[in-house]
Amino acid sequence: MNCKPHPAVTTESGLCGVRVSVRYDRDLPLIIDGQSIAIPVGKITALIGPNGSGKSTLLKTLARQLTLESGQIVLDGRDIATLTRLQFARRVGILFQENVAPAGLTVEDLVYHGRYGHRRLFESFTAEDQAAVESALLLADIAHLRHLPVGQLSAGQRQLAWIAMALAQETQYLFLDEPTTFLDPAHQFEVMDLLRKLNRELGKTIVLVVHDLNLAARYSDSLFALREGRIIASGSPDDVLDAATLRRVFDIEARILRDESGRFLFCLPVGRVGAASPETSL
Amino acid sequence: MPTAHRRHALAGLIACSLVVAALAAFMQVMLGSYEMTWHRAWAALTDPNVWQPSVWVRLLCGEATAGMLHLPEAPALDTATLIVWNVRLPRVLAGVMVGANLAVSGSIFQAITRNELASPYLLGVSSGAGLAVLLALTVCPVFAAFLPLAAMLGGTVAFLMVYAIAWHHGTSPVRLVLAGVIIGAIAGALQTMLFFLAKDLSTVQNALSWTAGSLTGTGWQQVRLIVPWTLASVVLGLSSTRYLDVLLLGDPAASALGMNVERVRFLLAATAIMAASSAVAVSGLIGFVGLIVPHIVRTMVGSAHRHLLLGCLFAGPALLVVADVAARLAFAPVQIPVGIVTGVFGGGFFLYLMRRRRELGKL
Repeated sequence: MNCKPHPAVTTESGLCGVRVSVRYDRDLPLIIDGQSIAIPVGKITALIGPNGSGKSTLLKTLARQLTLESGQIVLDGRDIATLTRLQFARRVGILFQENVAPAGLTVEDLVYHGRYGHRRLFESFTAEDQAAVESALLLADIAHLRHLPVGQLSAGQRQLAWIAMALAQETQYLFLDEPTTFLDPAHQFEVMDLLRKLNRELGKTIVLVVHDLNLAARYSDSLFALREGRIIASGSPDDVLDAATLRRVFDIEARILRDESGRFLFCLPVGRVGAASPETSL
Repeated sequence: MPTAHRRHALAGLIACSLVVAALAAFMQVMLGSYEMTWHRAWAALTDPNVWQPSVWVRLLCGEATAGMLHLPEAPALDTATLIVWNVRLPRVLAGVMVGANLAVSGSIFQAITRNELASPYLLGVSSGAGLAVLLALTVCPVFAAFLPLAAMLGGTVAFLMVYAIAWHHGTSPVRLVLAGVIIGAIAGALQTMLFFLAKDLSTVQNALSWTAGSLTGTGWQQVRLIVPWTLASVVLGLSSTRYLDVLLLGDPAASALGMNVERVRFLLAATAIMAASSAVAVSGLIGFVGLIVPHIVRTMVGSAHRHLLLGCLFAGPALLVVADVAARLAFAPVQIPVGIVTGVFGGGFFLYLMRRRRELGKL
């Protein structure tokens, strides 16, 4: 099991947080407590943990949406505090859990907003912007929906439209906060398949927060498990997802299963730690 | 294709606004205590003695500038032409500017607060600007040219106070409106207090009609006063439509796209305050125009600001010029302040909105 803290590395390329602490308000306790994390480049990384463990906060912190209490975040060898907002927005895209599009906004208009960081003051859209928007619409497979208002789409299509907006941003890094939470299983797979395609074909580094451990196991290359603002375990799904770690992170008893090919790993939660259910004795 | 549909709706809205505004303007020019037939009014409007560069410089830049440029003496004009060009037409033009300013200001405020209840009036900006103008008029008389600046100062102070009151880990539409009501009430009370402190009755009467929002007595001087601010706010508004659109996605999303949200919001607020305050300096407190025009235009052309602001630029003037026709002619020979007309009809429209839609507020 890999639960030792990551060394504070400042590699030439890559994104890492060094002894990062974050709190929302001066009177409130730390949400992230002096944690170091190195995001593997060109991989899909999932942050997992129970509610309130700080995984979303960590994601937003790495994406520069929150102010650091202490520590630093290094992107491709530079402290992100030294980058301008636009420089950062051209390297890292982030999609939040809840997104509300203004009434009547079409899919195409939404995706064009992704070009915000690439345009200069008062400049209109260039051929480059148009190409980026077209390729984002095609990648997310929503080109046929471009003229529909975002509000009229199904939840799954809406999520794809927002991902397309982040794609039009043309960033090396893509951060997503619980992109599958409100979706039915088919759309969960659709979104995750899209993310895998972006990773495998375009080499994007993807970091996401997920609640569903099986999706995390199936799609991610590396996992960070958080609890109470600390990274408790990290490594490949095989390393992290075992009964002991799940007990420590989530307070659950779970069985780890594999499919016949041995490629996919499944977590089957059977109860809370200490709850006297017949399954726990299995 | 909805985009093309929206564009057609915008073209239709602009065409309708132009026709309505032109008809109302012609009524305003033709009707009144000095009676003239419609072809007499038309002849006065197209009087070749007026359509000369030197006369236009005189009207738009003032006598002083004309004197400095050593322009030839203004040609003698007949009575109808004088009444049309010196009394009735400048009032229409001032109404056009005020309508455009209020509508543009309202749509910017609605975008930056993501709140369809926002307007210069409900956010306290108009009241703050009004208080500053009244102070300038009654307590320490200043040059008329400084009135818009005094109004902007008052509007800015009021807006900052409203924001500070409403701020509690972010703002909500209802909190902002309540804070606006608070500041509006205080500014209104102070305005009334100034009436009692004023020395003579005519000042009080002027001030009273002004707080109700009136275009009575506006002439070329007022047009000259507001034109530069109208041009500036229209240019700034139309060139920042992309920022307004991205702000509607919400602060986190806008910031993730690389926007410095606080700075952009501050600059846009400054533009909206400039537009609303200069209108207040000229016409007093005309309510509901800044709330309702963006609302109507949005339902017709959608929330994309390049369409919304353009639509407001035509619909705002049309609405105000029509309202001013009613204010001036409905109870002739008595003129009522146009703010009373917009208040009655705007309030009714607001009521209709509240009844029709269960959830009102967030954009």
